Amino acid sequence: MSESLANITFCQERQRTPKIPVKCKNRNKAVPIFLINCLILCVLSLLFLDIDWGKIGARIPDIGRVFWQLGHFNFEYMSVVLSALTDTICIAALSLLYSLVLGIFFGMCAARNVFKLPWLAAFTQAFFSFLRAVPTPIWVLLMLVCLGMGPEAGVAGLCVHTTAFFTKSFAQSFESIPNETIEALETTGTSRVNIFFNAVLPAALSQIMAWCGMRLEINFSECAILGMVGAGGVGYVIATSLQGYDFGTAGVAITLVFLIAFGIERAFVAIKRRLS
Amino acid sequence: MSVILKFDDVSKQYAKGRLALKAVSFEINAGEFVSIIGPSGSGKTTLLRAVNQLIPITSGSVWLDGEEISRQKGAALRKQRRKIGMIFQNYNLVAQLSVMQNVLHGRLGYMSGINGVLGRYREEDKREALTLLEELGLKDFAYHRASDLSGGQKQRVGIARAIMQHPKLLLCDEPIASLDPSSAKVIMDLLKEMTAKRGIACMVNLHQLDAAINYSDRIIGLCQGSIVYNGSPKDLTENLIERIYGTSRENLMLGNKNEAGS
Repeated sequence: MSESLANITFCQERQRTPKIPVKCKNRNKAVPIFLINCLILCVLSLLFLDIDWGKIGARIPDIGRVFWQLGHFNFEYMSVVLSALTDTICIAALSLLYSLVLGIFFGMCAARNVFKLPWLAAFTQAFFSFLRAVPTPIWVLLMLVCLGMGPEAGVAGLCVHTTAFFTKSFAQSFESIPNETIEALETTGTSRVNIFFNAVLPAALSQIMAWCGMRLEINFSECAILGMVGAGGVGYVIATSLQGYDFGTAGVAITLVFLIAFGIERAFVAIKRRLS
Repeated sequence: MSVILKFDDVSKQYAKGRLALKAVSFEINAGEFVSIIGPSGSGKTTLLRAVNQLIPITSGSVWLDGEEISRQKGAALRKQRRKIGMIFQNYNLVAQLSVMQNVLHGRLGYMSGINGVLGRYREEDKREALTLLEELGLKDFAYHRASDLSGGQKQRVGIARAIMQHPKLLLCDEPIASLDPSSAKVIMDLLKEMTAKRGIACMVNLHQLDAAINYSDRIIGLCQGSIVYNGSPKDLTENLIERIYGTSRENLMLGNKNEAGS
């Protein structure tokens, strides 16, 4: 009896003690406000788009069927797929090379510590953030209008975005070079261009390599999309075979795209490890 | 003796209104070894950087080798800067490049066009760089990365880079402040020896009073932006030291407090 009574009072005591807080008193309100806003936005989007969930539910078995068909590889058009894939790799590599050269040049202008001309850096940065704000497929579509269908438009369109990306990232790498190092060369009477090519660029080279690896991966996957808007390459093959219900060929092409993207990523992880 | 550097009534006011240099005038002769001493914030670094216009002066004029460097800009200023080597407390080498490349950077001011951009140095410059490295005891490190060297070695590379410029004046901004005592002695000996051999004038900012007294031909004492002493180390009396540092000599020697009383 007395034992159970003690138990009861113990439970009551536990219920009465308030929970000990563990969080900071002056918490940053930004995170919860951001999350709540995101939630509101999601709910509004859901209402606005008026998605037919019933239809999606009914079509779920179709997803399985399509993937089942994609899995039945059709190697009949292998030569077409391979040549289109080579096109894609070439477009990605070429746009990377051109953008690398352009990016080093414009990055030099955009870095505040190279020429020490604030207006030049600000102007270059602003111009390229505008180019970056417009997505790659739109640039490619614009280039298709200007240059006509084919890989040239793909290279040109990818170059715009990649150069804009490199300009910003290279400028950041150049700016991370200690100012004292640049000053030391300034005192020898060296011109700004010579300082850039003999000290800033070599010091930033390993970072530039890392950016290139990352961008090649992005360019390759973007390139696969670009084919669908008519810029040639494997994307075109995927789009046409899907539209013609030739799932076997599309399956082969998609698998190859995945394998190459994965390969590029692995290769650059290995290179990066060796660089550091 | 010919005058290589002349400060005429030079003042420097920073944006916040603080006067770093107050009407400073002095001359440096060719081949002279001059130390600049003074407490932190006395304007030593500003003075040194006003020589090659890394810091533009507010008023007065700085004359280098008969030309008014404080009025020069662009190519003319770069040409004047070639005559001034500079050595830094933190060496300021390009860490990713070889020792050899860092030494050859001293020649970049003389190169223009594509050779400068590509860093294609003349064979005789390379030979000179190797001879210099041998003189500084760094021959075995010529093809090592600069980041692999110790502090004392890095500073020796800094000296080689400055000497490669064939300067008439060498500016040293706290060259031994980041070094251990034995490396510091090596660096000071090398500075003295190499500048004397080549007839290069040398201006050294120093925190170490004993080094200034032992190595210099002349000492300039700065206090709150004004020169309070300009003369031979022999004549630097206790009173003058107190005027420069605002404290007695005993207080400048580490761990010397007890002996001072006895």
